[in-house]
Amino acid sequence: MKETVTTTMLTKEYGGIECVSHLNMNVKEGRIYGFLGPNGAGKSTTLKMLLGLVRPTDGEITIFGKRLTSKNRLEILRSTGSLIESPSYYGHLTARENLKIYQTILGVPEKNIDEVLKIVRLDRQGKKKTSAYSLGMKQRLGLASALLSFPKLLILDEPTNGLDPAGIQEMRDLICSLPKEYGMTVIVSSHILSEIDQMADDIGIIAAGRMKYQGELSRLHEIDRNKSLEEIFLDLTGKDVSL
Amino acid sequence: MIKLLRCELLKMRHKYIFLTLLAITAAGLVFSLYGDYSGEFIQKNGWCMMLYQLPLANGIFFPIACLVISSRLADTEHKASSYKQLFTLEKRGRIYDAKLMTGLSMTLLSVLIYWSVLLVFGKIIRFYGEPPMELYLRYLACTAAATAVLYILQHGISMLFKNQAVSFFTGAIGTFIGVFSMFLPQLPLLRQLIPWGFYGALQFMGLYGWTSEERYANAYLKIMSVDPAVYVIIAVYIILFYALGKYLFCRKET
Ligand SMILES: Nc1ncnc2c1ncn2[C@@H]1O[C@H](COP(=O)(O)OP(=O)(O)OP(=O)(O)O)[C@@H](O)[C@H]1O
Ligand SMILES: [Mg+2]
Repeated sequence: MKETVTTTMLTKEYGGIECVSHLNMNVKEGRIYGFLGPNGAGKSTTLKMLLGLVRPTDGEITIFGKRLTSKNRLEILRSTGSLIESPSYYGHLTARENLKIYQTILGVPEKNIDEVLKIVRLDRQGKKKTSAYSLGMKQRLGLASALLSFPKLLILDEPTNGLDPAGIQEMRDLICSLPKEYGMTVIVSSHILSEIDQMADDIGIIAAGRMKYQGELSRLHEIDRNKSLEEIFLDLTGKDVSL
Repeated sequence: MIKLLRCELLKMRHKYIFLTLLAITAAGLVFSLYGDYSGEFIQKNGWCMMLYQLPLANGIFFPIACLVISSRLADTEHKASSYKQLFTLEKRGRIYDAKLMTGLSMTLLSVLIYWSVLLVFGKIIRFYGEPPMELYLRYLACTAAATAVLYILQHGISMLFKNQAVSFFTGAIGTFIGVFSMFLPQLPLLRQLIPWGFYGALQFMGLYGWTSEERYANAYLKIMSVDPAVYVIIAVYIILFYALGKYLFCRKET
């Protein structure tokens, strides 16, 4: 199976402290990769490095089989959609006007806007300004921007942040459908295992910047048959280590 | 680039940025032109007298315009936390340039509007003779150059610092020192070196022989020489501020 994203010895230091340390990550094509870790584990930092938003201190990143350099970065990222931490939105504009900006830069067809708005179910918000949106609606708009070009690779950092239970379920179903429907590869981060375990094919568990486990979710059971997944996860990440 | 400029226009919707700029220009015009034009000396030398008096008002209002416009435009992005999205779509340098072009061209347009109103005003108030166009064009070029330096500087600060108070205080303190420098003829270096002082440093019309007792009895206006170093300093600043701001912006981590 082809690998969409690989990192080798990826490291990021902030002020001499390694927040991401010698990380080897493998994301296979057409799969959903759950990126798990407690607060401050380095999930967002890693994903930002994949997107070129943060410069790695050391290590390499390969996306779509090409080594990421400052030269080919944009070309590679053209086929990548992202939602990192909080969604980006211009509060004084409507959802459609927001997407129009990204659509103009991306140069994708205008009909994509309607399509993604329908996917995230914001198609009936009309002239409402996005500053008046609820947290979950903003999150949906962020997802719509990420989907706009129907990219081959989708990177979502805690996409269920602020969603109601129904919204979480819906987001889960949506993410699950993306590989089949559009052939996307999805990386989705979270700090809750139970949120991921129903959608991810593979997972990577990161704690204190180091990869603790990587592989198929179904294999995680085999670490200790007597424990529940949640317990194994907590054992791996360390329960009471201070940040 | 055209795409990015179109995006800038899309983002400016409902923001009344150009209207704000026009309001500042209008306030500047009122401040500059309000006064007593009845004296004989002023009627006779009106056109040149304006060139003598205006740099002070320019040194207050155009820096404010640069500050407000660059800050408003950059704050749109900071509030939207949109860099992390935009940087994955387009070269950072281009994003920086597109915004600079948008803001700078609007601000320079307001300089042009200001200048045109001056000419119309002089005609209406019936200053003696025709306006000395050569001097007025020189004045336009000088004002535009000084404003461009400031805009490029303020643009850099507004784009780099999320907190717009940084940009605001730099602009406010700078403007204050700039205006102050115009009242300190014995300290020419001050206005020649700080970007806010260029309105004064580039002033080429001087009033001589004016005293508080005799007023305009023996007064005359004469063209002063401007230290050529000022032009060099301005050119250096334009390149320096642009290159430095863009470099730091491109290295910014989000
Ligand atoms: N700009 C920065 N400067 C200094 N330290 C940083 C910076 N950004 C992140 N860090 C540090 O890197 C570590 C990892 O942060 P990161 O945001 O990647 O965590 P995370 O796994 O996304 O956590 P969460 O689940 O809370 O979102 C933290 O200890 C954080 O303090
Ligand atoms: Mg995070």
